[in-house]
Amino acid sequence: MAMTTQATPPTAGGSLYIPTPARIRAIEDLTEFERLFELEFLDGHPLGHDPGQFVQVSVLGIGECPISICSSPTRQETFELCIRRVGNVTNHLHTLEPGAIVGIRGPLGHGFDVSEMHGKDVLIVAGGLGLAPVRSLIQYILDERSRFGRFDLLYGAREPKEILFKDDLTEWRESADVDFHVTVDRPDEQWRGKSGVVTTLFKGLPKLDPAETMVVIVGPPIMFKFVVLEVLARRIPQHSIYCSLERRMKCGIGKCGHCQANNVYVCMDGPVFKYGRLKAMREALE
Amino acid sequence: MLDRMITHSAFLELVDELAGKRRIIGPVARGERFFYEEVERAGALDLAFNYCVYGPRAFLFPPTETLFTFQQIEGRFAAEAVVEDRPTALVGVHPCDINAIRLLDRVFEKDHPDEHYLSRRRNTLIIGLDCPRPCTDGIFCSDMKTNEATEGFDVMLFPLGAVQEVGASGKGGGGDPQAGPSVRADEPPAAPSQYGVVFGTPTGREWLLYSHKSTVPTAADERALEQYHRSKAAAFRRAIKTPSEDLPALLDRSYDSLLWEATARRCYSCGSCNLSCPTCYCFNIYDELDMTLAAGERKREWDGCQLPKFAEVAGPHNFRAKAASRLRHRIYRKAKWVREQTDLPGCVGCARCDRACTAKISSVEIYNQLAEEA
Ligand SMILES: Cc1cc2nc3c(=O)[nH]c(=O)nc-3n(C[C@H](O)[C@H](O)[C@H](O)COP(=O)(O)OP(=O)(O)OC[C@H]3O[C@@H](n4cnc5c(N)ncnc54)[C@H](O)[C@@H]3O)c2cc1C
Ligand code: SF4
Ligand code: SF4
Ligand code: FES
Repeated sequence: MAMTTQATPPTAGGSLYIPTPARIRAIEDLTEFERLFELEFLDGHPLGHDPGQFVQVSVLGIGECPISICSSPTRQETFELCIRRVGNVTNHLHTLEPGAIVGIRGPLGHGFDVSEMHGKDVLIVAGGLGLAPVRSLIQYILDERSRFGRFDLLYGAREPKEILFKDDLTEWRESADVDFHVTVDRPDEQWRGKSGVVTTLFKGLPKLDPAETMVVIVGPPIMFKFVVLEVLARRIPQHSIYCSLERRMKCGIGKCGHCQANNVYVCMDGPVFKYGRLKAMREALE
Repeated sequence: MLDRMITHSAFLELVDELAGKRRIIGPVARGERFFYEEVERAGALDLAFNYCVYGPRAFLFPPTETLFTFQQIEGRFAAEAVVEDRPTALVGVHPCDINAIRLLDRVFEKDHPDEHYLSRRRNTLIIGLDCPRPCTDGIFCSDMKTNEATEGFDVMLFPLGAVQEVGASGKGGGGDPQAGPSVRADEPPAAPSQYGVVFGTPTGREWLLYSHKSTVPTAADERALEQYHRSKAAAFRRAIKTPSEDLPALLDRSYDSLLWEATARRCYSCGSCNLSCPTCYCFNIYDELDMTLAAGERKREWDGCQLPKFAEVAGPHNFRAKAASRLRHRIYRKAKWVREQTDLPGCVGCARCDRACTAKISSVEIYNQLAEEA
C-alpha cells in the first residue's frame, strides 16, 4: 500500500472544497454520545484510504469537521466513521437517518505505515475515542494476519458506559489472532473486567522485543505521556512508536493554518506521527 | 538592465487604456493615508504614495469569499464551485507586497492547488513600483531582503525621475550614497517624471510594448539606474540585529524565553496584526443558508492565529490558550516556519503589524530583545 503518497482529493468543478456525496447505509448507537455511521459513495467508488487517515464530513448548511476513518481499507465497499456529538456538525450528524446523504472530502492526511509493521510484533494501546482511528489498523491486521507477528491490543475507557465497539471487543476477546485486554478507570457494579488506568494492563504483557515490535498509542495527550513512558521503559526505540494527533482543522489540505503544531501541518504530515518526530514538536503533546 | 523607459504621463495613458480590459486597483489617497482601491481612471491613482495601509492581498484572497454554492434536492445535494476570473491589474505594488504575493502564490499552489486563489492570480497583471528609499519609519524590509523584487511582477517601474527630486529636497540626498534619506520618511515622495521599466513576464512585455508609448533606454538611463540602486542601498538601514537567515536559529534558542510572556501581557489578542499582514493566509470555513434553508454557500473568511479560539478543539481544549504561545506562534511562522515550508520569507518587513498594534508590540523589538538574551 502506498503510504507516502497523499491522495489528491478530486477537484470537483474546480474547487478542492466541494465534497463528494455519500449515503449513510447504517447507523449504530455505540454509547450515549458516540454513533457508528456506515457510508458509501453514491457513485460506488471505494474510499481507498490507509489506516489512520481521516475525512472531512459535511452537512451542507451546517458545516464540516474532520473524522477518522475507523474501518479498514480491506473491507472495501463501505467505510465507517465513529462520531461523538460535541457541537454543531456532529450533533446534526446524530439526527440523520440511514439513507441520508452527507458530503465527504478525502481520504486526507497520512496514516500508519503498515508496510513497516509487516513481519513485526504489534502492540496497540488505545484510550477513549482513540480506539476509533486505530480500529482501521486493528481490522487491517486481523484481515492480513499472516503478515504480522504477535498482536497485543490494550484499551482503556473512563467508565464502562463509555466503552466503544462492544461487538468488536467480544470478537477480539475470543479471537486467537489478538491478545486483547480492556480496563476502565471507574468501574460500576456490573463491571466484572479489569479496572485502573490503561498503563496497569502493561503488567500482563509478555516481554517486548525492542527490535521487532512496533507500538501504536492513540488517546488523550495525558494518557499518551504515561503510556509512552511504559513503552520507552521497555526499550522500544522512538522510531517504532506511532501516535495520532488531534487539532482543530478547517481545510484539511495544508492551507488554513488551524491544525499547525509548531512547524507541522497535522492535516498534511499527520495525523499519524512517529514519536521521534513529536519530540521536536513542543506543542504536540501539550 | 532596463527594458524600456516611460514617462509618468505616458504610463497613466497606458493604464487608462488598460482600464477598458481590466479592473484597475491601485493606491488612492484618503486623507493623509493611502489604500489600494478600485479606480475608473488612472488619474485617480496616486503613485507618489509612501505606503498603503493594507497590502493588496484582499484583491487576490478576499476577506470573505464563496467557495461553492449548493442546493439540497430531495435529500441529495448539488454543488457548484465559485471561481473568479475577472481580469484585474494591480498598479503600483511595492517590492514588499510583491514578495508577499509570491508567498501567497507558493502557498496556494503547493500540494493541493487552490483554484479560488490561483484563478484570480492568473487573471491579475501586477505592475510593481520600486521604492527609492524607506517608505516610512519602523519598516525592516531590507532586513528581510524584500525591499527588492526579482519575481512576482509583470512589469516593474523604477522611479528614476524621482531620485533627483528627493535628493534636491534634502541635504546630500541622491548624490551622496552615504547620506541616506534626509527628507522626513513619512512624507510621500514627489511624483516621478519618468520610470525605468523592467519586464517580469511576457504578458507584461506585451502590454507595455503594444502601444509604442515607451522608449528604448539610453546609456544615461542605465547609469541613472545604477545611481538609483546605489542611493537606494544607502538609504535603507538595518533595523534587526540578526540577519534574516539567522533568525530561525535565534528562534530555536528562544522557545522558552520569558520574553513571550512578558510581551504578550500587553497583547489584546485582537488579531489586528494578522488582519494587516500581507503574508497572513489562514482562514476559517463556514456555511450560510438562504431563506429556503435548502440552498446556501460554503464560504471562507480570513482568520488570525492571535485570536484566542484559533486552536481550540472539542473538550474543550485549546492548544494555544495563552497569548504568549500565540505571539510566539506568529513570530515563529513569520521568521522561521513559513520559510521552512516554502523557501520564501514569511515576513516582508512592512511593519504593518507593528503599526496596527494598539499595544505597541513590535516585531523588530522582539527580534532585537531575543538577540540580546541569546
Ligand atoms: C484528524 C482528526 C480526527 C478526528 N476523528 C474523530 C473521530 O473519529 N470521531 C469524533 O467524534 N471526532 C473526531 N475528531 C474530532 C472532531 O473533528 C470534532 O469533535 C469536531 O470537529 C467537532 O465539530 P462540531 O461542528 O460538531 O463542533 P463545533 O460546534 O464546531 O465545536 C464544538 C467544539 O469543538 C471544537 N472544534 C471545532 N472545530 C473543531 C475541529 N475541526 N476539530 C476539533 N475540534 C473542533 C470547538 O472549538 C468547540 O470546542 C477528529 C479530529 C481530528 C482533527
Ligand atoms: S495587533 Fe497587537 S494587541 Fe492585537 S493581537 Fe496583534 S500583537 Fe496582540
Ligand atoms: S509580519 Fe508584520 S512586518 Fe512581516 S509581513 Fe506581516 S505585517 Fe509585514
Ligand atoms: S486543517 Fe487547514 S492547514 Fe491543516
